[in-house]
Amino acid sequence: MREGAREPAAEAGGAFAGYEVEPRFYDNMFDERGAPRERFGALHAALSELGAEDLEQLQEGVHRRFLHEGITFTVLDAEEATERIIPIDCVPRLLTADEWAHLERGLKQRLAALNLFLRDIYHEGRCLKDKVVPLDLVLGCPQYRVEMRGLEVPRGVYVAVCGTDVVRTREGFAVLEDNLRVPSGVSYMLACRGAIKSALPRLYRAHRVREVADYAELLYSTLASLGRAERPNVAILTPGVYNAAYYEHAFLAGEMGVDIVEGSDLVMRDAALYARTTAGLRRIDVLYRRVDDDFLDPVTFRADSLLGAAGTFHAYRAGNLVLANAPGTGVADDKGLYAYVPRIIRYFLDEEPILANVETHLCREPEGLAYTLEHLEELVVKEVGGAGGYGMLVGPHASAAEREEYAARLRAEPANFISQPALDLSRAPCFVDGRIEPRHVDLRPFVLQGRDGQRVVPGGLCRVALRRGSLVVNSSQGGGCKDLWVLED
Amino acid sequence: MAMLARVAADFYWLGRCVERIEQTARLLEYQLARLADRPAEELAVGWRAIYRALGQAPPEGEEAEAFLIPDAYTLAGGLMEEGANPDAVLPCWRQARENARRVRAQLPLPAWTRLNQGYLWMREAGFAAAWAEEPTALARGVIDRMRLFAGVVDAAMPRDDAWRFLELGRFIERAQHQAARLGAWVEFAREEGGGAVLSWADLLHACGAYELYCRSRSMRVRRDDALDFLTRNPELPRSLRFSLQRIEELLAGVDPLGARYPLAPPHRMALRLTAAVEMEGAAAEAEEFFRATWSDARALHDLVMAAYVSRPLSGEAPA
Repeated sequence: MREGAREPAAEAGGAFAGYEVEPRFYDNMFDERGAPRERFGALHAALSELGAEDLEQLQEGVHRRFLHEGITFTVLDAEEATERIIPIDCVPRLLTADEWAHLERGLKQRLAALNLFLRDIYHEGRCLKDKVVPLDLVLGCPQYRVEMRGLEVPRGVYVAVCGTDVVRTREGFAVLEDNLRVPSGVSYMLACRGAIKSALPRLYRAHRVREVADYAELLYSTLASLGRAERPNVAILTPGVYNAAYYEHAFLAGEMGVDIVEGSDLVMRDAALYARTTAGLRRIDVLYRRVDDDFLDPVTFRADSLLGAAGTFHAYRAGNLVLANAPGTGVADDKGLYAYVPRIIRYFLDEEPILANVETHLCREPEGLAYTLEHLEELVVKEVGGAGGYGMLVGPHASAAEREEYAARLRAEPANFISQPALDLSRAPCFVDGRIEPRHVDLRPFVLQGRDGQRVVPGGLCRVALRRGSLVVNSSQGGGCKDLWVLED
Repeated sequence: MAMLARVAADFYWLGRCVERIEQTARLLEYQLARLADRPAEELAVGWRAIYRALGQAPPEGEEAEAFLIPDAYTLAGGLMEEGANPDAVLPCWRQARENARRVRAQLPLPAWTRLNQGYLWMREAGFAAAWAEEPTALARGVIDRMRLFAGVVDAAMPRDDAWRFLELGRFIERAQHQAARLGAWVEFAREEGGGAVLSWADLLHACGAYELYCRSRSMRVRRDDALDFLTRNPELPRSLRFSLQRIEELLAGVDPLGARYPLAPPHRMALRLTAAVEMEGAAAEAEEFFRATWSDARALHDLVMAAYVSRPLSGEAPA
């Protein structure tokens, strides 16, 4: 087949009529010839049999469930916080057992290396002395917290909960970024599963899908394993109801049966942290904080923060409180440091990285900046501290004026940017505008690191760019989510 | 195990809001059902009594004209969706939903879903469209959805402090509202020349008490009997006595016997109020009695907040 040619899916009947497979993009359901991949035949056949009306009904059903249960995210703009229902697509994405096994090994390897890296940069700094990672990149990173220097974190775990963004291209899986501070999205994974499992019960059973329902139990045991007490009192710290991920904070607290606290609920006494209850103060042993470092403790970090509680970091330093994730982990998921992760894996684990990185150009380096400016039309440029798809330039989709404006920002502050090639993100079938069409997808699996090792639930948040041709999967910018089925052998 | 003070406050306010929604809808249902066959003057008195029952002063002077002209659409619309009106159904529902959102971790999913579904229904229904269809239908729809929520809460929530604070909010709101409603009825019935304008049977109907009254007393409804029934009947869910007894039981659950010495101030206040209603009743000075009861119920709210939510921390030892 010639490069770039579009082929209708070989068995593009029924709901798949008009579905085009572009060889440039890996299609999760169809191979290059347009035939359903092995293990995907049953799903393809079942969806093909459905008429547009049935699919519409299915889609409407899962959307209604999200609407009634209020499965939302919050978008903040200059004026107000708007609560929105997260769009869900009714067609599940499938991963085979082999694909998942490969991903799982790679994710665990990556997190193990990054935890060792974090310990090192806050203690001996061997990897900095050995020039594995530039010293100024680490010390100059705003997420590097000097307050963490020399501090022994409970059980040696800096990152207890990690959400790694993984994409698939023709070449295979690659990590797009690591989220080591307060990764979110796991509740949508569970909500998608609940909705799709009940909408497609027979298909679900027939596919022998691996379960994700025990995530909350695993999360609780991971957090509890970091505490000193046998049954520590665990709580989730949320910035409050207007936070974008508030639904998730409340969901996880409910599933784990722990308190969800806000900064105003907390008070420090005798270097320990307590929550105000109707009967007085109750001590907190483990705080799963969903508040950024900056806002965690107004005495130690940002003095104007109203989201955290004064003394939290003091209680942590005194060993009377476990914070998950530890403060200062953001230095390891900074987009500038991302390019060095393969070297970090080799240095600390003496292993080759299992999951590839995406080619990255650091604009802080003269050659990286020059390359980026020269190839702006082909690249995606991101702020090193950015998140949520905000503040980035997608070169191929930007106008000349937008590129020019961005170039000026790059020249003014090169250290603040990296660039990557616009990836040919894989596509998966989605039900959009009354028919099934391919849309770009990514995946965020979640890895937990506790006292007794690492655990990964077989699944993840599968995000989808619902606008035709768009590569932006963030829910705040037109993205949605779909259920990911990891199949048994 | 004691719950977070902020969460207790959210459950408490959730209870107050859902009760307030139902009370406002009940008043509206009663009044809107009379539109078809009652004279304008009587309707005007009815509106004034409703506004007074909600603790809002009836308009005076020129504004009072609005109550004489039966502009029921505007008045009812104000009580259904007026954002600035703390008793209006839609804003109150929005507030209840916000409170529920804050306590989603402890609120059973079916309860949250019913409340959320109801809110979406109310928002979509739109007062103007519902009015064109059938004026009382929207009020009935609201009452049904509040009952559904209450039923799901009853079936799904464990009897822990979260449930107690929700119920506490509900019954304090009910006691306060009921005292205000009975007081308003006494006041307007007298001002406007007695039961001919504001019927005591209507009051029983509006309180869901008419059938029980007929069964246990008489089909002939007299002022003092009706007031006594709505004040002291221990079986009627909307009597003052019923609400106060529930409040006392709930406070005893929050602070089980012996957990707090001396008794927490709101608990003592609830016991005193219950005794006053049981033993004293509305009697002759009905208007004064209901005013004092309303005022005490309001003070009870302040005591609950002070004892459980905003207690000072200075010198407090960890529990």
